[in-house]
Amino acid sequence: MRFERDPKLDTSLNMPWRRVMITLAVILPLIGLLAYGFSRDPRYINTPLIGRQAPPFTLTLFDGKKISLDDVTGKTVFLNFWASWCPPCRAEARDLEAVWQKVKDSDVVLLGVDIQDTEEDALAFLREFNITYPNGRDLSGKVAVDYGVWGIPETFFIDPQGRITYKHVGSLGSALITAKIDEARRGIVSAKEGKGTYQPIR
Amino acid sequence: MTRNLDFRFWILDLRKNGFAFLFFLNLLFLPLAFAAQTVDLEEQVRRIAAELRCPVCQNLSAADSPSELAQQMRGVILEQLKEGKTPEQIKAYFVSKYGEWVLLAPTPKGFSLLVWVLPFVAVGAGIIFVLFVVRRWVHKKNRLQLATVEPALIERVQREVAAGKPLQVELEAEDIQSPLLQEKARLYADLKELEFDYKAGKLSSTDYQELCRDLEAQAAAVLKELGSSAPARPVVQRSAPKTQQAATHKEAPEREKATYRGWRLAAGGVFLLLFGITLGVFLTKSLRPRLSDQDNITGDFLTGTGPGGIGTSSGMAGMEMGASLSKDIASLLAQGRSAFERQEWPAAIQAFRKILEADANHVEANSYMGLVLAQAGHVDEALAAFDRALATDPNFPIALWGKGLLLYRAKKDTAHARELFERLVGLMPAGEERKAVQKILGEMTTGADGGKKTSAETKLRPAGKTIRGTVSLGPKLNSKPPGSAVLFIIARSSGSSGPPLAVKKIEGPAFPIRYILGPEDSMIPGRALAGKVFVSARLDQDGNPTTRGAGDWVGEYGKNPVEVGTEGVDITLQRLGEP
Repeated sequence: MRFERDPKLDTSLNMPWRRVMITLAVILPLIGLLAYGFSRDPRYINTPLIGRQAPPFTLTLFDGKKISLDDVTGKTVFLNFWASWCPPCRAEARDLEAVWQKVKDSDVVLLGVDIQDTEEDALAFLREFNITYPNGRDLSGKVAVDYGVWGIPETFFIDPQGRITYKHVGSLGSALITAKIDEARRGIVSAKEGKGTYQPIR
Repeated sequence: MTRNLDFRFWILDLRKNGFAFLFFLNLLFLPLAFAAQTVDLEEQVRRIAAELRCPVCQNLSAADSPSELAQQMRGVILEQLKEGKTPEQIKAYFVSKYGEWVLLAPTPKGFSLLVWVLPFVAVGAGIIFVLFVVRRWVHKKNRLQLATVEPALIERVQREVAAGKPLQVELEAEDIQSPLLQEKARLYADLKELEFDYKAGKLSSTDYQELCRDLEAQAAAVLKELGSSAPARPVVQRSAPKTQQAATHKEAPEREKATYRGWRLAAGGVFLLLFGITLGVFLTKSLRPRLSDQDNITGDFLTGTGPGGIGTSSGMAGMEMGASLSKDIASLLAQGRSAFERQEWPAAIQAFRKILEADANHVEANSYMGLVLAQAGHVDEALAAFDRALATDPNFPIALWGKGLLLYRAKKDTAHARELFERLVGLMPAGEERKAVQKILGEMTTGADGGKKTSAETKLRPAGKTIRGTVSLGPKLNSKPPGSAVLFIIARSSGSSGPPLAVKKIEGPAFPIRYILGPEDSMIPGRALAGKVFVSARLDQDGNPTTRGAGDWVGEYGKNPVEVGTEGVDITLQRLGEP
């Protein structure tokens, strides 16, 4: 086909291909970016805390006693942030208490931190589910901010050395709790946090 | 600010009134300075918070958000400022807790660098594109002018315009498809008009010459193009036989250009179509109505988020009680309740069983399940269901009521039943229903005095108290009901929605029909009808109580509620939905 055609015409015929390539090169990355944006949950905040030392805190429990993280060093700590108005917290409440009944005589401590709640509602919640493990209110929200809490229930598993081994956003089942407590006890740090049904805090 | 002000006054003071005034002024400014300090601190908090994202909001800074968490964050910032931390340290603290995400202006590193660079790249690319396009326009025009430097063609244009050719061309243009010929006609007409304007004195001679040159050049270019693309046209052939040679060897590329243009159009069309389809599919699949204030409109299909959080697809299997599920439970509960009230037992059982599959400890479902089971005579299963309900909520009235009645009537365990009823009375507001419970409590005491067995037996067949009446068809119902039809006469404790106390079932009724609603029709075996009840009737056309067709005939006693023992409780049936 390319007989007696002058070189100028040749380039003008090659132009469209080049133009298509350039257009695609511009548009495809943009579409990719759009797809990436669509495919992620804009609310989800990945925690930087896994594998780090758990922030210290002191909590006043509902029965008036005080407990701090230092008091339980050497034990595996299951730290659960909850509120009475959060449906997924209700969903997991029974399982948490069931696990506590199983592990309370071992070196595992379950600790509940009630956030953004009234004392009355929180106590009613504890009564409703017969919760017996230590629970306290984080009035100023400082403990919650220290742990980067944004959606509850949010649970941290802390190994006997005080290191966060796993974090789970959303309600937990007793099987997973037991498994993760066991990992925490042995100091195994999970690579990723877990996700379930959660309720953004207020 | 205040310090500066202070200083100025200080200078003034020294000159004028000396130290006394200075002292006075200092007193005056002292509280102001303190206030300034707190304002300063608040401003500092605000400034830091403005750089932090509120974790529970969408695109709001911790300074702007009214959320509780944002308030708490501001509290933490204030506290840390008072401790003497710098804004950078405080921001670093939040980054260490929530990650880089928490910064509204992410540090230009790694992937976040894109956010900083991309806008500038886009602007740069835009400028380059515009420059490119403008340059091409200019280039094209130059080429056009270059092409017109054929004096022969210009001469021809002048000749043809002078000869009045444009008119002829204009006439021809009517049936000529070629845009080039039309263009030629337009240019010729313009030239003619220009000449006319010039002669009328509307144009200066320099302007005229310039415009004329321009138009002539364009017309010449058109002529040249015409000569090459349409060599067969007689007009062109006659006037420009010279250009024909050039035309033949330009023909092939010209055709290729045309096919290329078509191809480009088709490709563009296909791309637009695909883009539209993709957008349509993605949007419809990923958008949903907001279920609550905290809900997102995106989710499900793309992100796997359920309403208000991450849903089943990304969660751990088997431990969800997601918001969507709880919504299902609410609707299932409503279904079950209405099926229960209509005595459509299989439908009620199905609904409550579904709820219990999702949440085995659901109080209301367990309670209703107990009632259904008790009604079917499964005393032990019913008791187990009530116990499950009471284990979750020891004060749930329906469960207390059901279990108490079962213990009392079927198990004859008066002591436990009394305990439950007493608790129930304590929970109930004053009213007919509480009186009914208290009455049973009264029965228990007398029953206990007179010996359990006999009392239970007499209660199972209590004498007397019945409701009697006639069920007849309304004037609009002259057709005979089918043989499979079943008539239900129902006594309820309250209105048309309360739980049924007694039901009489008459198969294949012949109207008008007399009925007696007695203790043997009581829903809970052995329980006498007492107090005031609401009496209604329903004729189920197909005899299957689980279906509730539009063809059903219904009726209510006109003077509801009636005291048990009343006679002449006559009911007229009407078609469902008719007044």
